[in-house]
Amino acid sequence: MSKNFLEIKNVSFKAGGKIKVRNVSLNIENKGDIICLLGPSGVGKTTILRTIAGLEKIQSGTIKLKGKILSSAKNHIEPENRNISLSFQENSLFPHYTVEKNIYLGVEAKKINGKKRINPKKIIKLLNIEKILSKYPHQISAGEAQRTALARSLVTQPDLLLLDEPLSNVDQSFKEEIQVQLKKLLNDLKITTIVVTHDSYEAFYLGNKCGLILEEKLKQFDDPYNVYHFPNSIEVVNFLNRGILIPAKVTGENSLENEDLGIIKGNFIKHYPKGSKVQLLLQPEDLEHDDKSNLKLEVIDRKFRGTNFIYTLKTPSNKLIPVFVHSHHIHQHEVDEKFGIKRPINIDHIVCF
Amino acid sequence: MWNGKLNFWYFITFTISLIVAIPILTVFSSFFEDTSQYFEILKKTFFLEYIFNSLILLIGVLFLTFILGVGSAYIVSFYQFPGANFFKWALILSFAVPPYIYAYSLFAFFENYGTAFTILKYFFGDGNYNKQIPKFDGMFGLILSISFSLYAYVYILARSSFLYQSQNLIELGKNLGFSKFKSFYSIILPSARPAIVAGLSLVAMETLAEFGAVDFFSVNTLTTGIYNAWITFDDLAFANRISFFLLLFIFILFLTENLSRKKAKYHLETKGGFKKKEKIKLCGWKSFFAFIFCFTLFFLSFLFPLSQMLYWTIKFPENLIDLQIIDLLLNTLYLVSLSSLFLVFFALISNYGNRVSNKKILNVLSTLSISGYAIPGVILAIAFITFIAWFDENILNTLGFLSIKKIFIGSVLGLVVVYFVRFYSLAFNGIKSGYEKINIAVDESAYLLGYSKSKTFLNIHIPYLRNSLLFVVILISLEIIRELPITLILRPFNFETFATTAYISASEDLLEAAAVPSLCLIVIASFFILLTSNYILRDRDE
Repeated sequence: MSKNFLEIKNVSFKAGGKIKVRNVSLNIENKGDIICLLGPSGVGKTTILRTIAGLEKIQSGTIKLKGKILSSAKNHIEPENRNISLSFQENSLFPHYTVEKNIYLGVEAKKINGKKRINPKKIIKLLNIEKILSKYPHQISAGEAQRTALARSLVTQPDLLLLDEPLSNVDQSFKEEIQVQLKKLLNDLKITTIVVTHDSYEAFYLGNKCGLILEEKLKQFDDPYNVYHFPNSIEVVNFLNRGILIPAKVTGENSLENEDLGIIKGNFIKHYPKGSKVQLLLQPEDLEHDDKSNLKLEVIDRKFRGTNFIYTLKTPSNKLIPVFVHSHHIHQHEVDEKFGIKRPINIDHIVCF
Repeated sequence: MWNGKLNFWYFITFTISLIVAIPILTVFSSFFEDTSQYFEILKKTFFLEYIFNSLILLIGVLFLTFILGVGSAYIVSFYQFPGANFFKWALILSFAVPPYIYAYSLFAFFENYGTAFTILKYFFGDGNYNKQIPKFDGMFGLILSISFSLYAYVYILARSSFLYQSQNLIELGKNLGFSKFKSFYSIILPSARPAIVAGLSLVAMETLAEFGAVDFFSVNTLTTGIYNAWITFDDLAFANRISFFLLLFIFILFLTENLSRKKAKYHLETKGGFKKKEKIKLCGWKSFFAFIFCFTLFFLSFLFPLSQMLYWTIKFPENLIDLQIIDLLLNTLYLVSLSSLFLVFFALISNYGNRVSNKKILNVLSTLSISGYAIPGVILAIAFITFIAWFDENILNTLGFLSIKKIFIGSVLGLVVVYFVRFYSLAFNGIKSGYEKINIAVDESAYLLGYSKSKTFLNIHIPYLRNSLLFVVILISLEIIRELPITLILRPFNFETFATTAYISASEDLLEAAAVPSLCLIVIASFFILLTSNYILRDRDE
């Protein structure tokens, strides 16, 4: 028997007769782990969830849950016999039942034995849907419908919970609060969960691990910290859109040189021979502001993000570099002004391709 | 596991399609059979007249239903005037009066010494009024009868299209400085064109299929030609050959209707940004004109035939006593309940099969299975008799089996089978439109909650489709109550409905006796229409 809680081995995920994601192998080791799948729209994230739920079949590979084969080329356990719950992104509420009946149907449909029972009222309160319990699905907003569907999935206490963009329609002001409560609840009840989202911050917060689906492949599956700081491919860097790649030449064990920024020091996460020409990943946090520095770049744009500013600077070779500055920094720079970069440049970990 | 279930859905849908296809195939195969010499005689004599009359009838009815249907829909949808809310649903009551009953009323009112004569005599004393009273018979009376009975098809579809039209589009017209007439002509009418064409196509199909009124006014059309070929010449092959030409007519109309319906669907799918239109409040003579237009239409299409039948019922009360109303009612209810049961059962199974299997070939078969509605009742009934006779002689007789003629011809079972073919599209499409409102993710959610497919069907689909099912049953009931040629040709001996009793009395020149069954038919049909009016006229928010 496999020691992994969920094991996906060499599965190609198909929808509408077309392969969406090829040859995926992925494990969830422990019960109660939360993993998040990130990727652009239409890449096949939802197809992965639908296949795990049993709504789509597979032609090769295996999907096992708690050591039991759910899907393979020969076997297919029907969705109703999997004890897997999927909360759809679109409205999937039963239109002729009230919100309350929709939620309690989940409890009625599955006889929950020998488990620590979830109190539906607690879920209802957590998701702030007490006031709409007597309403019908067509009388509530998209965000409320999404929270109701989430509540219905949670109360069934599934072995595996699949959430497809669970908070995409929820108001921003309320979203973070739900994220915190949801994570706490899933951890308390040890419900193993796969969340599909396009919001990298949501994925980094909720997930023990994150998987990036790009160009029909699972490009990276790792801890959120590693995905962010140690992206394993240019595609992942581009998707996360949190830095730029600039040309550089390796000048030593701990240094490289860029024609605009000069010498950059730090720890390489991968060895490159001296003299190698590489693409260096420069993230907004990597450079520091210093008005006294003699390395000055032109400000092209300034984005205010509440706690910080992101300045976009233009180098002499016309590269656009993002730089992070705390918003409490008193001296603000306007567009077209010069912006000083502290030298020598030290980067904690150097990621190159 | 899925494949095993799929075979069942294919089998059901294929069987229904086959049953519906039988009359079409029979007519087409009969075209190549030998007929008696009557066909040759007919070709030289009346055949061109049949086609010519059918065309004139079609053009006249389409013109009049367009004016009445679009005009009333426009006034009711865009303007507020006294009685506007009443006319919104009152104008569909004309559905309760089949063309043949309208024809009886029209003829009876204007005939020599008819009701018009009695009214004039009452007010102005004795006189020779017959010369002054216009006569609405022949082709003109026929066009009026069918138009006043069927304009509601155009009214309903045009009204719903007008309601869905974006307020922004109309405001854009105002912004461009268009007059009301130019806005109507350049914006409103072109936007509603697919819906209006769909309504006119339905009217055209019903007109070509009309039998009772055409027969009453003795206008020789293709439909009466088919009936006469069978009744007068006793030549089924001859009847089928004329049917072939009528089916060609209808096939062209069916294609037009389908194409325009697709466009209409595209046109209606405007999501978001829908602003409920503020109706323009009419004052003074404009308000009076709008009221008079709608009231005249309501009066002529519904109150006039109703009053005429009521007048005769009161004037000749002995007909009320002579008529076995309870028997007629029970016969009608028997046919309605049995047919509804079969239709709803199979339409539900077929729709569910299409949903769970989601296979294109099943969709194609389903489209074939709903083509029966386009085929006139006369053709269906005669083709059914032809097929049963052929099957009996060539298959059962050869194999030594007992004859099935008695089981299917002149029996309630045969009647129900042909009703099934004719009205299956109503049941199928009614349930389909209910199913289309249930997102497929709802089914999948149910499976994931642990519901099996059958439990999902019983606990999720059926409760949600309850209103659609009720609507379908009422619609089928309405059609069967009004239906004439199929019932007339295939009914068992001594088994009458309100429609057949009215027809038989009228064909025996006993119009007064036709009044009571006609009145009963109008009252029952009105009751069913009022039950469904909310559903038929539902606005976007409902």
